[in-house]
Amino acid sequence: MEFKLEAHRIVSISLGKIYSARGQRGGLKLHKNLLVSLVLRSARQVYLSEPGCPPEPPPAACGPPEDEPPPCTTAWAAGEAPPPQDEAGRGGPRLPGADCEGPRPRRCCCGCSCCCAAAGGEANRADCAAAAEAAAPPPPHCPRKRSAGERGQAGSPVKKPRREVEEEPPPGEQEDMETGNVASLISIFGSSFSGLLSKEPKGRRRAPLDGGEATVATTPTDAAAEPGQICCDEPVLRTLNPWSTAIVAF
Amino acid sequence: MEGESIYEADSGDGLGADIISTVEFNHTGELLATGDKGGRVVIFQREPESKNEPYNQGEYNVYSTFQSHEPEFDYLKSLEIEEKINKIKWLPQQNAAHSLLSTNDKTIKLWKITERDKRPEGYNLKDEEGKLKDLSTVTSLQVPVLKPMDLMVEVTPRRIFANGHTYHVNSISVNSDCETYMSADDLRINLWHLAITDRSFNIVDIKPANMEDLTEVITASEFHPHHCNLFVYSSSKGSLRLCDMRASALCDKHSKLYEEPEDPSNRSFFSEIISSVSDVKFSHSGRYMLTRDYLTVKVWDLNMETKPVETYQVHDYLRSKLCSLYENDCIFDKFECAWNGSDSVIMTGAYNNFFRMFDRNTKRDVTLEASRESSKPRAILKPRRVCVGGKRRKDDISVDSLDFTKKILHTAWHPTENIIAIAATNNLYIFQDKVNSEMH
Repeated sequence: MEFKLEAHRIVSISLGKIYSARGQRGGLKLHKNLLVSLVLRSARQVYLSEPGCPPEPPPAACGPPEDEPPPCTTAWAAGEAPPPQDEAGRGGPRLPGADCEGPRPRRCCCGCSCCCAAAGGEANRADCAAAAEAAAPPPPHCPRKRSAGERGQAGSPVKKPRREVEEEPPPGEQEDMETGNVASLISIFGSSFSGLLSKEPKGRRRAPLDGGEATVATTPTDAAAEPGQICCDEPVLRTLNPWSTAIVAF
Repeated sequence: MEGESIYEADSGDGLGADIISTVEFNHTGELLATGDKGGRVVIFQREPESKNEPYNQGEYNVYSTFQSHEPEFDYLKSLEIEEKINKIKWLPQQNAAHSLLSTNDKTIKLWKITERDKRPEGYNLKDEEGKLKDLSTVTSLQVPVLKPMDLMVEVTPRRIFANGHTYHVNSISVNSDCETYMSADDLRINLWHLAITDRSFNIVDIKPANMEDLTEVITASEFHPHHCNLFVYSSSKGSLRLCDMRASALCDKHSKLYEEPEDPSNRSFFSEIISSVSDVKFSHSGRYMLTRDYLTVKVWDLNMETKPVETYQVHDYLRSKLCSLYENDCIFDKFECAWNGSDSVIMTGAYNNFFRMFDRNTKRDVTLEASRESSKPRAILKPRRVCVGGKRRKDDISVDSLDFTKKILHTAWHPTENIIAIAATNNLYIFQDKVNSEMH
């Protein structure tokens, strides 16, 4: 259990680092963010593979019943390399996944986003009308990772840490043990999502809210896909409400 | 070790622009260059020893200061490019001028440093201010003569090697052929010719086709001191790769891979981070390599790829504190390491303004502190000790009272003598060993 606590703490800290790295002068530091994402990954693996995670069915609001945690866990551990190509056509922004998982994790005592994410696959379709395509049942955690993965195809290293950022907030939020860290994380996300609500085109959106957003579009990308752009899509705005509800409720 | 000089840079703007980011002696040790976070380079010159004041010999004084890099903005990517000088490397001196390469995250510049101590006087066609004379006033001809003047040090940018790197440049290294040099960023290494700025050759590229598959980055690289075809680069996974440029144009395939298997008993969340190599240096002999990771320095024999021949613990007492060090970002600090001229002693920095030296022959080590008290001229440096519980001697520092904001990342050793330069935030300490010091 101690490992679980420490792992969770490390996950929250890592997320904070990845997020704050975006505002850094001089652009994203690839080396540091790679190391942080590696730590995040191993902490997450430990956290989710700990036996102290009791299985708990996600609430009805999430939609149809879902898999037991053990398959989730395996999927987490094995699913480190999401199949980005599968979901290329999904087109759904990452936020619908996020929103749907927002309220749910609170009821999952172990805080396993895998349980909740299990529902995420189906619930996305049910609740989030915004998510256009019906995806094949993914490994449980994949809804968010997939959408990040498709963004990641642009090949920018900045997308790798950013993907992690988008994946993790539910586990970070649902855990009430490290309130201090997580609450600040939420306030960070709260303010960032308010920026996402603007419908400015990609170029102007990059004008930093706080200097932070500028680094989103960073360095090594050759491809066009811009994560920021996805945030501004309309479906996102519709589904933003459950997300802010989650933040407020926490 | 005697304290000799401290130079404190403080432009007073409080922005930390004076934090020293690199220190490098030139090949004779006569000059010492420092780069800082504000893009400035300060060069110190050693005073020649004089018979009159034998005790004042060899002091380093400021020789020249110039602004090497300015902050830039990449409009295409909406990115600010920091002006911080990441590395300085001196070129071997080939004429009266000195040359050095300085680099920030993106652009490498070649600077030429020349002295002017004479000035021509007595021109026929122009007067002292340089204005053309009225020809009717010129009645006789004279030969202009060179008159002495106050020494002026002039620094001019001779080459600017730009647009070679997409990622952040972490190291540069001049080849022993004195014609080429390489620059390395997180994923690529480029080979440049010192006279050609509009193109470079990419010799290493570890960027994966899909960036999501990225697992390691290049952290440091250096040319072999004698073999112009060999270079080494270190990775964030703790491995070293020796490459031979004769093998192929693109040296993605290493000739030798130096890697030590991880000790499973030391496994933690942070094992990967602390195994990342922050600096690699060939020995002067060219036979060994020195690497620094977060907790250790290791000496590798070029002939043995399976493990280092020597491992020294720099501050193993931090092993139990990795989580806090991760939290306050200290675990990402990149410490450098250095050989002495005879490759018998290695040196590296630590926290609390401590730096450590390890004698490879006697296996003794010492911890010293770069502080104002210890650095009055001719004050002898007292060895320090960090205690980790148990018996605590007087003057010991406990692990918990270490100041992690005072870190010595950059150190340099004179190429032949026992003179070391230690950068502690915005202070530069220079220590000389007048007599052999005891190590414990």
